Amino acid sequence: MPLLEVQGFGKRYRGKRAVSGVDFSVERGELFGLIGPDGAGKSSLMKAVAGVLAYEEGRIVAFGVPVDSERNAERVKGRMGFMPQGLGLNLYPELSVEENIDFFARLREVPPAELRERKARLLAMTRLAPFRGRAMKKLSGGMKQKLGLVCTLIHQPELVILDEPTTGVDPLSRRDFWAILAELLNEQGISALVSTAYLDEASRFHRLALMHQGQVLDQGTPEEILSRVPGSVVQFRSRVVAEVVARLRNRFPQVESYGSRVRLFLPGVAPEVASREVTAQLQGVEREELEVLEPELEDAFIQLLEEQSEERGPDLSPTVGSGAPAATFGLGAPATGERETDSRRPDRPRSGRPGQRPEGEEVMIEARELVRDFGRFRAVDRVSFRVRRGEIFGLLGANGAGKTTVIKMLTGLLPPTGGEGRVVGADMRTSSRAIRQRIGYLSQAFSLYRDMTVLENIRLYGGIYGLHGKALKARTAWVLAMAGLGGQEREMAGSLPMGLRQRLALGCALVHRPRVLFLDEPTSGVDPLGRRRFWEILTWLSRSEAVTILITTHYMSEAEHCDRLALMHAGRLVADQPPEALRRELVAEAGELLELEVDRPLAALECLKAHFAGVSLHGNRIHLFARDPEAARRRIGDRLAGAGLELRGLRRRVPGMEDVFVYRMGALEAAA
Amino acid sequence: MNRARILAVASKEWREILRDRLFFTMAFGVPLLIMLVLGYGLSLDVENIPFAVVDRDRSELSRDYVHQFSDSRYFDLLGYARDERELARLLADSRIRLGLVIPDRFQERLQGDRPVEVQALIDGMFPYRAQTTKGYLAAIHAELNRELLVEFLGRTRGMTPERAAERVAPVRLEQRYLFNQALESDWSMASGLMMLVLMVSPPFLTALGVVREKESGSIYNIYASTVTRGEFILGKLIPYVGVSCFNILVLWWVATRIFGAPFKGDPLFFYLASVVYVICTAGIGLLVSILVRTQVAAVLLTMVITFIPSMLYSGLLVPVESMSREAQLQAHLFPPFWYLQIAWGSFLKGLGWERLWSQTALLAGYAAVLWTLGLSLFHKRPKR
Repeated sequence: MPLLEVQGFGKRYRGKRAVSGVDFSVERGELFGLIGPDGAGKSSLMKAVAGVLAYEEGRIVAFGVPVDSERNAERVKGRMGFMPQGLGLNLYPELSVEENIDFFARLREVPPAELRERKARLLAMTRLAPFRGRAMKKLSGGMKQKLGLVCTLIHQPELVILDEPTTGVDPLSRRDFWAILAELLNEQGISALVSTAYLDEASRFHRLALMHQGQVLDQGTPEEILSRVPGSVVQFRSRVVAEVVARLRNRFPQVESYGSRVRLFLPGVAPEVASREVTAQLQGVEREELEVLEPELEDAFIQLLEEQSEERGPDLSPTVGSGAPAATFGLGAPATGERETDSRRPDRPRSGRPGQRPEGEEVMIEARELVRDFGRFRAVDRVSFRVRRGEIFGLLGANGAGKTTVIKMLTGLLPPTGGEGRVVGADMRTSSRAIRQRIGYLSQAFSLYRDMTVLENIRLYGGIYGLHGKALKARTAWVLAMAGLGGQEREMAGSLPMGLRQRLALGCALVHRPRVLFLDEPTSGVDPLGRRRFWEILTWLSRSEAVTILITTHYMSEAEHCDRLALMHAGRLVADQPPEALRRELVAEAGELLELEVDRPLAALECLKAHFAGVSLHGNRIHLFARDPEAARRRIGDRLAGAGLELRGLRRRVPGMEDVFVYRMGALEAAA
Repeated sequence: MNRARILAVASKEWREILRDRLFFTMAFGVPLLIMLVLGYGLSLDVENIPFAVVDRDRSELSRDYVHQFSDSRYFDLLGYARDERELARLLADSRIRLGLVIPDRFQERLQGDRPVEVQALIDGMFPYRAQTTKGYLAAIHAELNRELLVEFLGRTRGMTPERAAERVAPVRLEQRYLFNQALESDWSMASGLMMLVLMVSPPFLTALGVVREKESGSIYNIYASTVTRGEFILGKLIPYVGVSCFNILVLWWVATRIFGAPFKGDPLFFYLASVVYVICTAGIGLLVSILVRTQVAAVLLTMVITFIPSMLYSGLLVPVESMSREAQLQAHLFPPFWYLQIAWGSFLKGLGWERLWSQTALLAGYAAVLWTLGLSLFHKRPKR
């Protein structure tokens, strides 16, 4: 009998259906993942399982006890641990690390002797021991997350339920977290139900369920899910990305561009056929490094979403491709209603070839030794970078790394303690209104008025920037077309799904045709399909409209879209390069990323840890870095054979930005 | 009930109260502040009424007449005005609340035993003050008329002043104020404010203490653990009730020492009755915390349901007997009405257990109902 069994689960809030028809089960010792964007129903489901939320439909049975009433729920709570969503929000800020742990232990009546022993072990494992006496409010995000885990585990539950434990935490802490969790699961034979919004964490789970809008789209091991959405990924480089994408989009809906790379997913197509089909379409186009890859979970998820969203109306259908000709949006000069002779913008760029990033070397955003202190805390520490016209510049980092503070200083919302920030050549603090008119800003918080319709919001923003009459009308039409909101003009902004809402917010930030756009975590909590659409718009803006974009995100997978990336950690800039260069540097310094399939992953992990760099566990597989893959294959085989383990498979993987980030930060910490 | 778990919750809560500066202020600073601010500000005594005079006579007698007012502690002479128009302006600017117009030939007519008319212009904007002013005016005039009559009788009938005084006012009123002999409104206000502060502060603390955890999500630690709801509520509320029990002593000290209110009753009884009252009002906070989800909502709701009954329906400002029947009924439904009787009875009347036990028992019953309700409405597995 499984440890946890969920059948036909459904939950409604004030009559509105949040989750329905969910079935899954968790076996003893299993790490089960719930993956989905905000509003997918993950939290409701987890709370119901933890016995802290009443539900209307279906059955939840944990440890053989039906969790269907307050009384029954109490019977299983002693054997479960639950960590709610929100980084460290369930901890007590005024209490020290140790006091927090002690409180949870006393609540769970852990005998003092056991508590001492367990606490020492967990603190050592999470490397929190030196901070025993520190108040929880003074911990970093990663440390809060680990403390939360320790507190949830202090009574040795048999099943832990962790709601988005890794959201907003830096990649290094995230890796750490998964390693600790895997170790604990292995040592104590406990099971875990963990939710995440990051698809790239899917490989960490033994089994998982992909959730969207209250339903499970698919579930199984990562391999099973992938096998159910067969197909091939074709990837190549080109200097005319936009043209290529425009040409391919008609035949292949799942086309994406990342800088100079184009990536297509061809569902249900075998690798050889895929390569042939794509090549046929690319007659006469210059391209290089064409390779066929296996699809990843994100491709599968998006494919599932596409299948499901076919009947969802026109909102997603007007695809805004990175290479779509400007006319798609009625963006050609006449339709905008704004005369090109506008004196404030005599230099409006007209990029000759759509899709080509204008080679203009004009610096649009510049940070020079920016410093910002809050009391004794240095939030931003001597940050310098330049962003050129038409570039997409990504600022990556965990919550609290200083990204938002940098943006606020550049846009003149916050005076720097030291250094200088310039946008379009002017210091934003002292700049004129004319300069301010040239920037758009989309803040982290949803900045629109929920109780106003789509149209009212657009008109309001247009009015704020002094648009009226014909010009306002034209821009309103432009925003509606760009955001794909045609037909939904009269809906309340608050009732739109997350992805659409963010597109509307983007439209509002663009209503006055700014030349520079600041975006602060615009895609947080948006589903992968919505995020992909959002990025298509951004790429198009940068390529065809020469809009300069500075964007922050904590989705490492999104970083690939940027022309250049700046990694931030603890207020400092750790790197500032194009993604490809970062990746090349990683491979040059650390070697290739290898993925191993072994029979007993945990034993293999122990065996390999001491001999290779970056050894980490991903579900049942192991990742590590090796300079010479062929030599490494032999060494790995020998090592494993020596320990009585079997190497079932080994393949190279393209390292992601997360690997880059983790490597950089690790090197930084080692140097310190 | 598991004592270790109650203690775990209580000691965690206590640490948070001490370390969180905002909470610490709210626990110990705010009650004191309300007491001092309202104690000094909410004086109902009407004294030092500023007034001005238009004296058309400018005689010895008219000056004497004005002195009747300026010498009393109730009136404060701002000065002489030239004419009625200036008087009207002063009244309009709220520089004075009373204007007197003394006609010409004031002295001449009075000495000729003929009546005179003095005009008094009273600012009627705030009826309570105007009524009181009118009362003072009438009293001063009655005294003046009596003196004139006594003098007249002495002059015309050859009576001694004593005999004349007796004849003028054959029925004499002998009045004595009980409990607050000097009619010091500070005395009754200070003891009455204890009722208000102890009605407001404990619910605020308990409601915010619980709702804060709901808002942050740390309440899930409780929901997801094996702590029973009774253990949680008890552990959570013990520190807050404890803080309030300490505050009773502080407030008592402020009332007697700073506002000089006498305490004539039984201290032990009063303290115990106050503890019952605090437990009862903390129960109100518990109910609020179950109804709302955010701290803002908790503050607003607590404000409304604690301030209004204690200000309006307790008898502190308006005697309950003078209210409409419906309002009287309402007043009897709120705990402050009963506790005010205990407070005033203990401070000013010197009453104790034997006279005030029924009010105390009522409060205890009230507390039991609130806590039972709170306990049964608190769920560890809510619907949303």
